[in-house]
Amino acid sequence: MDAVQVEVLLQTLIAGILLGGLYALIGIGMTLIMGVMKIINLAHGELMMVAMYLAYWLFVLFNIDPYLSVFIAAPLMFFFGMAIQKYLINPVLKVESILPENQVILTVGIGMVLANLATILFTSDYRSVPVEYASDAWYLSDFWRDSPVELSLSVPWSISFLFAVVITVALWFFLTRTDTGKSIRATAQDMDAAVLMGVNVERMRLITFGLGAALVGAAGCLFIPIYYLYPALGGRFTLIAFVITILGGLGSTVGAIIGGLILGIFESLTATYVGMGWAPVGRFAIFIAALIFLPGGVASILRRQRLGK
Amino acid sequence: MRKYQPYIMLLLLLLLPLFGLSTYMMHILILVIMWSVIGMAWNLLGGYCGQVSFGHAAFFGVGAYTAGILYFKTGISAWWGLPLSVVIVAAEALIIGFICLRLRGPFFALATLAMGEVLRVTAENLRGFTQGALGILIKERTWVEKTWYYYIIVLIAVGAFVLVKKIIESKLGYYFVAIREDQDAAESLGINTTLYKTIALTISAVLTGIAGAFYTNYMGYIDPEIVFALHDISIITIMVVMVGGVATYWGPVVGAVIMVLLAELIRSLPRIGTAHQTLFGILLILIIIFLPNGIVGDYPKIKRILGFRRRVGTTS
Amino acid sequence: MKRMILLIAVMFLFSLVITGSSFSEDTVTFGIPLPLTGSKAKFGEIEKRSYEIAMEEINAAGGIKGKKVVLVFEDSQGKPEVSRAIVEKLIDVKKQPVIFGEYSSSCSKAIAAVAEERKVPYLVVTGAADNITQQNYKYVFRMNPSVSYYTSGLRSFLKEVVKPKTIAILYESSDFGTKGAEGMVKDAKRLGMKVVLKEKYESGAVDFKPILSKVKSKRPDVIYMVSYVMDAALLMRQIKELRIDAKLFAGGAAGFAIPEFIENAKDASEYVVTATLWSPQVTYPGAKEFAEKYKSRHGKYPSYHGAEAYSALYVIKDVLERAKTWTPEDIRKAMKETNLMTAFGPIKFEDREGYQNQNFMDTLVLQVINGKHETIWPLEYATKKYVYPIPRWRDRR
Repeated sequence: MDAVQVEVLLQTLIAGILLGGLYALIGIGMTLIMGVMKIINLAHGELMMVAMYLAYWLFVLFNIDPYLSVFIAAPLMFFFGMAIQKYLINPVLKVESILPENQVILTVGIGMVLANLATILFTSDYRSVPVEYASDAWYLSDFWRDSPVELSLSVPWSISFLFAVVITVALWFFLTRTDTGKSIRATAQDMDAAVLMGVNVERMRLITFGLGAALVGAAGCLFIPIYYLYPALGGRFTLIAFVITILGGLGSTVGAIIGGLILGIFESLTATYVGMGWAPVGRFAIFIAALIFLPGGVASILRRQRLGK
Repeated sequence: MRKYQPYIMLLLLLLLPLFGLSTYMMHILILVIMWSVIGMAWNLLGGYCGQVSFGHAAFFGVGAYTAGILYFKTGISAWWGLPLSVVIVAAEALIIGFICLRLRGPFFALATLAMGEVLRVTAENLRGFTQGALGILIKERTWVEKTWYYYIIVLIAVGAFVLVKKIIESKLGYYFVAIREDQDAAESLGINTTLYKTIALTISAVLTGIAGAFYTNYMGYIDPEIVFALHDISIITIMVVMVGGVATYWGPVVGAVIMVLLAELIRSLPRIGTAHQTLFGILLILIIIFLPNGIVGDYPKIKRILGFRRRVGTTS
Repeated sequence: MKRMILLIAVMFLFSLVITGSSFSEDTVTFGIPLPLTGSKAKFGEIEKRSYEIAMEEINAAGGIKGKKVVLVFEDSQGKPEVSRAIVEKLIDVKKQPVIFGEYSSSCSKAIAAVAEERKVPYLVVTGAADNITQQNYKYVFRMNPSVSYYTSGLRSFLKEVVKPKTIAILYESSDFGTKGAEGMVKDAKRLGMKVVLKEKYESGAVDFKPILSKVKSKRPDVIYMVSYVMDAALLMRQIKELRIDAKLFAGGAAGFAIPEFIENAKDASEYVVTATLWSPQVTYPGAKEFAEKYKSRHGKYPSYHGAEAYSALYVIKDVLERAKTWTPEDIRKAMKETNLMTAFGPIKFEDREGYQNQNFMDTLVLQVINGKHETIWPLEYATKKYVYPIPRWRDRR
């Protein structure tokens, strides 16, 4: 391997890790919702889109930096998610129906309405937030003059990544150290047992959906400086969230983080060494592989190790 | 009266083109019936057997491409794609079934979803074989008139309806429902669940594939984005069945009417602009909140709400 | 039984909503299929606004043969079967004798097939796939050049100014992108360039850096990209970030040629050249006026899609005024004899080079100079002198 090839490989890995961190944040929201409620939320990407518009307008109208609007958009999305759960999803979950999957129609309907309202209110223009640092980067050669390889690290990508890490760690503390968090995890693991232990499952569901919405909302804010938005953008992120959820294991935060990173790195490597057109195939190939060979996701490996000790 | 109902319906369907409907109406009707076929197919697997597939586009697309590639590579009429797609889609279903059917619930749903996407991207990338994103264009469709297309799809639909009905009323149908209600219990009763789930998947896939091959012949143009579409095929299929009524004979038909005819109607409302999707989305949300088993499934409930109390007991 | 009654009731309701003929005593109504929702809605919107401007102008000047023009926009959602439904309705129920509109190639193909079968002329306004006008269709006319011809101007710019030895091609995996890339491969052969890399990507990707670092390692003279708007902006932003110093960054129309590209890519868009069919500064009569009117109303300049839509209505007006009667057959004849100068350029439908009823025209090259698209090629249309060679990323600012 000569220097040029090393440079390509390293740059690819950097890109993969940064992307993976952000993917993980999208996936965590989904994994919580799927783990606790066992429902497939097809409006996940649309929730992200709503948060992105929030961040966009906060910037345009009040000049609030997208990274600051994480702290505004995420709480708002939390309440928005709770409202959806309370007034739309809960009534459907309660009634007896032949297939529990009929909630799918509900989330598709919610997604349709959200995307269409965004088109009506904000037109279908592509927008991005014109932050100053959008294409700034740090270069290895600026720090090390004679470096044999030239690597770059994008400023907004790095900040977004750091934010994602901080949010994830905070969430992990919430889930493992607080009573509410523990109850949520208990509900995800075994709902009947949780009910017997006195957990208010209904309330946990509300909080979980709110939390899922808040997390994907935060991810939306972090994507704004490096990506763009338009009303129909939701679908692709919903799909990515699915892949991560399955890869990581339903309801597992740590699994989702590892799943996100695997996906990000895998996609980047495919793009460089196989061809970017095949990256989506790769994405779903590992998805199916995970389903078959690792039905519990990364979480099952983690659990096995813990038990082994 | 109820006994003759299917025959009256059939007669009505057969006579419909004689009423001199515009080709526009015929187009919408053909789409409605095509979607009923796909819905019935999905219903067999999802509604009766309880295996909710999010990837029926995988079968629809392969059926469509069987006809398309046959026409494009050999110059044979794309209609031969209908019988050929039966073989190819059945083989495909066995492979997909082998991979996905060991999974349950949401895992099965997501695995099939992934299958559909994998096939879409593969079709986009195998340019030598599928023409990639350029799609396949049939230069001259067999008929300009819609009557024959209409009768062909009616024939397919009647065939599918009878097949599904016969299966459900046979022993097979009881096994399917047993698997849906409690797979472990079914297994402990000695039902070979894998076998029966595979049967359900294969029949369901083949019917969907035939509809796909019909689509190629009828529309005259396919590309991966259209026939392997996640939202526009796979999800719409689920909606057709769920809105109409899961595990009912007529549910998919009613669902197709709503998802195609009503969607088109709402779209054509004057002065509504792009808001038609919001309206339609809200309609879907309302249907599922108030009629969780779909329109046919919760028909007694509708009757009750509308105040038709006199015939309670003779539920449909 | 009740279900049947329900079905019949719905159908009856349905037929109530959709009846009515398009031409009456003093108005002429055109239904136009466009993607107004979904991921292609942006372009549907640009075209809708442009049709509206043309409609107002035509009506202010007395309409078509004294009849007022009314436009009804129908949302095709970018789905071919919905476009087909719309056109079946227009032909059959509304008895509209000429069809025009739709944005994407796949929907245009679906409509073209209906139009040919029903023997009603169809004017393709923006669908660019080559094979739409290569089917020996008699009733299908296209006013925009096919995608293989989008780059004729760029080719001569490369040949006479840049004289590159190597080229890397990145394109989106759609019909448009694939054909655009193929066209460039052919051009490269003709110009003696070596294609060092040809890669496609799926539109909407978040991160292009892996593929770009591969491009960087090949050190091509020219990087040619066929992309829609936001992919274009992301590509240039990430090229800047990786400091890939090619001699020239070139775009194949579409995303690179519309104002959003500069808005979103910011300084990373500087000096990027792109092929285009049209720009707000072109010297065609009426072009500037249209562009300014659009800008004053909607805040920014239209892309070439807008000019195409705007001019399409004028083509229809011209054709209807020349047609002996307003029957599809006479309109087709009049369409075939079209020779009209529009804001989009000269329109004439010719049969040559394997195409039928295709409009051929010179395409332009734009370059982003000081944050604005300027026409730089062919020299006779240039609004500014091109900047070449372009500075290295490290030396900018």
